[in-house]
Amino acid sequence: MAFEIPNPYRGNYKLLIIIPLLLVLCSLFIIFLNPQTQIKKGVDFKGGTLITMQANQSVDTQALTAALTKKGFAVSSAKSLQNPKGYEIEVEIERDENLTRAEELKTSFFAQVDEVSRLEADASVPNASSDAISAYAAAKAGIDETSNGIFAIANLPQNAGSVNGTNALKAKVNAAYRGITDENAARLADALSGVVTYESASFNEVSSSLSEKFLEKATSTVLYSTVLVCIVVFLIFKTFVPSAAVLIGAGADVIIALGAMGLFGIPLTLASFAALLMLVGFSLDTDVLLTMRVIKRKEGDARGRAYEAMKTGLTMSMALMLSFICLFILASLTHINTYYEISAVAIAGLVGDVFATWFLNAVILLRHVEKGGHTGESEKGVVSSLFSS
Amino acid sequence: MISKNELLGGMRSRDVLAVFAFTLIACAMMQLNKPLGVPIYIISLLLIAIASSFLHKDNLRVAALLAIVLLSAFSIWSNGVKFGIDFSGGVRIPILLEQPVDSVTMEEMVSTIKTRAASFGLTEVKVRPIGDSEIYVELPQSSPQLIKDVEDILSQQGAYQGVVDGKVAITGSEIYSGSIYRVPAQYLQGADWGVSFTVTQAGANNFAQVALGKANYPLYMFLDRPQNAIIVINESELMAGAKKQLTPVSRAKALELVASAMALEGDNITVYVEEDIADNFTLVPKNNKTKAFVTSGSPIAPKLAAAGFDVYERSGEEMTPSYVVQPASPTSDAVTTWKAVGLLSAPRLVASVTEGIPNFGYTINGPAQGDSAIARANDALKKERDLQSLLKGGALPVQITIGSKTIVPAPLGEEFLRLSLIGIAFALAVVSLMVAIRYRNLKIVAPMMFISFAEILIMMAVIGSFTIDLAAMAGILAAIGVSVDAQIIVTDELLKKEEESKKRIDKAFTIITTSVMVAVVAMLPLLLLSGLVEIIGFATSTVLGSLLGLFISRPAYGAIAERIFE
Repeated sequence: MAFEIPNPYRGNYKLLIIIPLLLVLCSLFIIFLNPQTQIKKGVDFKGGTLITMQANQSVDTQALTAALTKKGFAVSSAKSLQNPKGYEIEVEIERDENLTRAEELKTSFFAQVDEVSRLEADASVPNASSDAISAYAAAKAGIDETSNGIFAIANLPQNAGSVNGTNALKAKVNAAYRGITDENAARLADALSGVVTYESASFNEVSSSLSEKFLEKATSTVLYSTVLVCIVVFLIFKTFVPSAAVLIGAGADVIIALGAMGLFGIPLTLASFAALLMLVGFSLDTDVLLTMRVIKRKEGDARGRAYEAMKTGLTMSMALMLSFICLFILASLTHINTYYEISAVAIAGLVGDVFATWFLNAVILLRHVEKGGHTGESEKGVVSSLFSS
Repeated sequence: MISKNELLGGMRSRDVLAVFAFTLIACAMMQLNKPLGVPIYIISLLLIAIASSFLHKDNLRVAALLAIVLLSAFSIWSNGVKFGIDFSGGVRIPILLEQPVDSVTMEEMVSTIKTRAASFGLTEVKVRPIGDSEIYVELPQSSPQLIKDVEDILSQQGAYQGVVDGKVAITGSEIYSGSIYRVPAQYLQGADWGVSFTVTQAGANNFAQVALGKANYPLYMFLDRPQNAIIVINESELMAGAKKQLTPVSRAKALELVASAMALEGDNITVYVEEDIADNFTLVPKNNKTKAFVTSGSPIAPKLAAAGFDVYERSGEEMTPSYVVQPASPTSDAVTTWKAVGLLSAPRLVASVTEGIPNFGYTINGPAQGDSAIARANDALKKERDLQSLLKGGALPVQITIGSKTIVPAPLGEEFLRLSLIGIAFALAVVSLMVAIRYRNLKIVAPMMFISFAEILIMMAVIGSFTIDLAAMAGILAAIGVSVDAQIIVTDELLKKEEESKKRIDKAFTIITTSVMVAVVAMLPLLLLSGLVEIIGFATSTVLGSLLGLFISRPAYGAIAERIFE
């Protein structure tokens, strides 16, 4: 064996639990109590515009920030990084309030307009009833107000009431909304081109409704995943303490990873979110290995089996970590955010997993076994026997 | 140890030969039928995997792994690997639908966007549905103008125009868009489908005037009919639709029909036949904005461009008009569709709307085609939806939001790809080194590394059959670690010499199966339910990596390792 680690479970192993508990507490402090290190939401979840420009030379980010601020944009971050084809300039600006408002108004307008148009049709035919006419008038007044809201933002006269018919109003609202977005884009391009000479620019624009949608979907995904994982774990181990220990281990690992995200400023984006979900799988990987070996085997004593599992588990974590370190190196060469976020979260989580599995899950499990809770049951779980040879 | 005899024996066994024979046949089929290459590859892969999982034979497992590696390598060569715009360069504009739609509506939306993009001259636009609530619009190259064009297409509606005998009878702005609805079955009066709508006072008057005395004439319905344009069609396109008619349509009749369909007071689209003008090319554009529609790749296109036309190349399908001809009523003979110029439908006017009396409500109805009742019902539904969309100026059936645009310059994308592939190779090397240090035994390390490499190759081929984007690439790299992990479990279990090896392998597999299940279950909601396409590639490669390992490579490694340790 190339490296031999002493068996930490000989002696008073219960004290080991202090390390993961401290890590979890620190992480919770970092995430929830310290405002400086709270997890930053990326544009995906916060809304806003992430502008990525490819340029030949580096850019004074302060001057860039100043130029954008002067044009009325709220800059959340500005970076100038070297990449294989020159420099990558990355600016994140907050979602413009006017744009958000205009977008809401436009959505509300289009949600109503078909109904109003139908009422208009009823009211316009010869011999239309006075009810139909007044119903249309009331409905038209409603969308006129919405339209005037958009016209106001577009600096146009608020004359929706004098526009005859919904078809014409629809065209005007479309034009006004387009005007707002065009003006915003032109102002942005103007501010940027004053400071940066870029070869190409990518605008990752996430509207507030889109970021809300992402957040909603991410939340429901986490819920489904959690429920499914809990069910599967309980089905496999069938007893409470080992199942709970496995889930506590995975939970602690995710919290530690979140703490690292806060500490190192890794933003929560769709990519880092996916990495967190993957982490649940990785974390449970070692937890399952440990629990299987300790509970469902007979050779030696429980502490010895836990120690043997740890040796295998650490080799596994090492192999995984090395792959993600490669991805991390790749990310620092290319500045591809997706790579950076996935690898950073995975590395942090894998480090956390070492403590969460071998010092937390293992301790709970050994206590449970040594108190005579559970040992030496049949090897196969319900579902897993389907696949084994 | 594996002895030479055992190897030869294994190779000679019937199952193994069958697997390799099957692989060869699959490869040949992929090569012979390129359009179906991807489905053939995927199905063959699944069949081999299933066969090896159900027949518990060690030599078959190793053979199946080798066969799948061969098959995947061949697929990479034959079908190629598709990379997303992150690696190939270009622009991606995701379109988010306000609510999930069924597959029929999705198909309709994709085709509406394509049609409208084509009317803007954007023929290189790729439009593909992603799940049930998102559509990707991708452009191979990026220019601000192109992006703006696409956004225009998506945010603005097109112009609907109805033409009767060369005069505009109705336009989209005269139709109350909210009044367009599908006629309920009980009011269809014998027709299979119907769409009804109400027009404005001005619209009613104009229609009454234009349609006066034109009973049985076709109402040519256009979406974004090009202005100031000519169209150059070739002989086979002109006659392709004519041959499908029960009554033969002569060339002269076909020419007469297309000419009358393209007639519009003051803005005729003149139709030329390529073969007629090829030898003696004398066309001159009216002005420098005159458009010329022509089959893409036609030899006449450069001549038109040289003459000063603004040339729009269209696919053969779009350039082919279809006809309806009824000997009993020659006035109703018409061109029913001609997508190149936005002609999408041509219903016949019934006598009651041609008497000169302003009419506010109209219904367009017709028969449905299909062999079964279900097919006819679906056809009717499709026709109604198409017509509704047309009358609304190509409006999409559900509200959309334009998602976040991604723009990648091509050289940068290529560099990203190169570095990513180096990264994968590097990761393989580093992980091998670690395993080598840990076990100090080439007999263990070599098969482990071969299997990890095989898995990467298979994943590249499978995911590359669809699209490898950044997230998928990250997932493939991560799979190296995952793949080695499971093999570490098997190896460590086998290194303990307490029980017979079969039992130990079983134990290792119980652990692996359990962890694969848990890992897959954790990712499944992201893959299947979330609709978060930006990272679905990652979920796909993670899940695929786990499953490949469980069903194909781990069993093979187990079979090899068991012999190594004997």
